[in-house]
This record gives sequence, structure tokens and C-alpha cells, in this order.
Amino acid sequence: MRPIPSFSLHRPQTLKEALGLLNELEDSMPIAGGTDLLIDLREGACKAKHLVDLGLIKELRYVREADDIIRIGSMTTHAQLVASELIKEKAPVLSEAASLVGSVQIRNAATIGGNLCNASPGADTAPPLLVLGAEVEVASTAGSRGMPLSELFTGPKRTSLAQGELLTAVYFPVPPTGSGASFRKLGRRKGCTLSLINVAAYLETDGETCREARVAFGACAPMPVRIAGVEELLRDKKIDVKAIEEASSACYGLVEPSTRAHSRASQEYRREMSCVLMRRTLMEAYERARRNI
Amino acid sequence: MMKLTFELNGEKVECETRENNTLLDLLRIDLGVTSVKKGCENGECGACTVLLDGYPVASCLVIAPQVEGRVVTTVDGLVDDPLMEKLRQAFMEDGAVQCGYCTPGMLISAYALLRENPKPTAEEIKKSIEGNICRCTGYVKIIEAVLDAS
Repeated sequence: MRPIPSFSLHRPQTLKEALGLLNELEDSMPIAGGTDLLIDLREGACKAKHLVDLGLIKELRYVREADDIIRIGSMTTHAQLVASELIKEKAPVLSEAASLVGSVQIRNAATIGGNLCNASPGADTAPPLLVLGAEVEVASTAGSRGMPLSELFTGPKRTSLAQGELLTAVYFPVPPTGSGASFRKLGRRKGCTLSLINVAAYLETDGETCREARVAFGACAPMPVRIAGVEELLRDKKIDVKAIEEASSACYGLVEPSTRAHSRASQEYRREMSCVLMRRTLMEAYERARRNI
Repeated sequence: MMKLTFELNGEKVECETRENNTLLDLLRIDLGVTSVKKGCENGECGACTVLLDGYPVASCLVIAPQVEGRVVTTVDGLVDDPLMEKLRQAFMEDGAVQCGYCTPGMLISAYALLRENPKPTAEEIKKSIEGNICRCTGYVKIIEAVLDAS
């Protein structure tokens, strides 16, 4: 029995009300799906005195496309993402990553906004969103702003959000024809597992040349990161199996996984696996891009 | 303390709860629904799985006030349900129960799967119970039982 320390709970019905509460209340914290936050509260890693539950705010739960941009409300659960025909058809890499987060029970509760704001270095939705070129919308009582997803993460479990700010949506352009993306994660086991390392790759090709390459790793740095060195090896060059193998081998020296002794995997292991997983994801992204020309 | 009203296994429940109470403790300690088991309290073992508005969730990761106005279902509420009856029979006949601690959670997960997908493959069954741990390592028989019930 590990009781959760006491807190005051607030259950706003609208985003405006939620932003007002987060602005007014000291030591407040939004609670989305709660699947990470309740554990942090139990373990004392989070000491919030006020929880602002976003669960009743319907305007934060949607997946839609407008003007070639796909927008996902921050309270959309992983299960809703997996079930979304729009995401399955236009950004299957995100469906695949979402389907590998936790278990059925977790995916029914955990939200995409929570996955990003919890800012685990190994968050599974982060690498696909990074390679899709996602931005996030951040709101507060002062208004709302957009910023690249890469600017949200500042360190393990740390974000650039100020007190009173809330991530309200994540959005990215509809991937064009000739593009393909892929995601892989490696855990200690297949089911319901945290990523020892995860990777997403996105390629655009006309069949000969790689017009755009974006790759991102999770759990290989204090936060999910794009790896520019790998992208440069591919972008605007002839693309084939050999080019993919060379770019993948370069990962070894380009990633900087944690050296902490109690990390879930050693730095050496993660470096080795970064090359293997990069090769597999790039190969799949390439196959998908070619079928999509 | 706060007032809470929700539907549990087809009946309206009105009770008082602490804001930091989990749905798991509300069910087991306050309401005496002991078919819902406490395992890891981390959302990893699945022993505390219940249906919330029809979807499986880990009740150790839901705070009680969040079920206000919602529908909570445990195995107790599915006693007369034909699909659950088929699953229960298959679990018994196939020997899918050893110590039994994981069984209510397994049944809830399997029930949610078969309701959406009446003829799942073994792989789909494995995926659906990835959040339910059996430490007697009886997965093979559990998967067979779900196949037999489908």
C-alpha cells in the first residue's frame, strides 16, 4: 500500500477555466491521463498541491486535418490515435508508435500531450513526431503560441513550459507523396515495455535521390533528439541500400547515450543498437517512400 | 472528502471519497469489491483492470473523483453476460487459472478484446493481454482459453 499524498483536485470543463486555474494556483500541475503522474506523486517525485484535471475538457480531444495540416488535441489518448483512420492513412508511423506505448490499459488513459510533457527521454511518440516536423501549441492566460516540438524538451522529465502554460495541441504537415516513415523500439521484452532505445526515420525520394531525410532517437540523449549528422549523409544524395547502411553505421559516433550506471541499458549497447535500429527504420521508410511515389 | 456518484456494475453508487483515493482502493476498501486485485500499483501488472465506460484501464492509475458520472464494470458486473460466461467456462476447462490472482484482470482484458474482435488470432490475444502479468507463467493456457471462447 503506497498512498498518494493529499492534493486538491480541480476539474474544469473548458480550456479557459483550466488556464485560469493553472495561472492562479501555486504548486499546481495539470493531470491528463495520469499514468505517469500518479506514479510520480506516489514516489514523491511530484509534489504538486493542486491538480488540474483536464479530463472533462472536450475541446482538447480531437484528431483532424485542415489545410494540409494534421492537428491532434493534447488530450487525445494513445488508443484514440491508434483508432484514427486519418492517422493510419496519412501518418501511419505515429499509429505504430502509439500502439507500442504501454499496454491496452495504459493506451486507454495516457494522452499524447501527457507523453510529450512528461518528457521522458524514451517517450515513444516523440521520435515520430520529430521526424514528421511537428510543432506544439502552448496556451496560457496570456494567449497561445506555437513552437517546434524539439524546443519543448529541455532535459529528462523537463520541458520549456512555464508555470501556467499548457500544451494544447501537436500538429504537423500531411506527409507528401514520395515520403515514407518508420518507427522501431527496443525494450527488455516485446509487450508493455519502456524503450531502451527508439528511433524514427522519415525520407522523401523521387526514386533516385533522397530529397529529405529526418531521423530521431529516443533514450539516446537527455531528451528525444533529431540527429543532423545522419540526415546530412542522406539528404540530396543518391539513395540506395549502400547509402542507408553507411548512414546507419555513422549513428555509433553521433549519439551520446547516458553513462549512468543505473540506466536501463549501457552506453555501449545503445550505441551498437542505434546503428541496427537506424538501418531497419531507414530501410522500411525507404520502401514505403518508394511505394508512395 | 468529496461526494461521488457513478455507476458500478449496473447500479448507481453514491459515496464519499478522498480526492487522493485511487479507483482501486475505492472499489476494494470502501466498496468491498475484492475481485479487483492490487498488484504493482504502477499500472504494469493488470491485476486491477476494470472497464471504465467500457474500456479497460488500470484502476490503480485512476483517481476516484475521475469516475464521477461514469460507468465502472468489474467481473462481478458481467456474471450474467453470455460472452463472459463463455470466457469463464473456457478458462476453467483449459486450466487457464493457477493461483488466480491475475484472473479477474485477464478476464476483463479478454472480454474487451472479444467484444471488439470476436475471432482474434493468437498474436492479437497476446497484444490484448500485454498489460496483464501472470507470474504462474500460465500464458499458453490463457491464450488457448481465449481462443476457445472466441
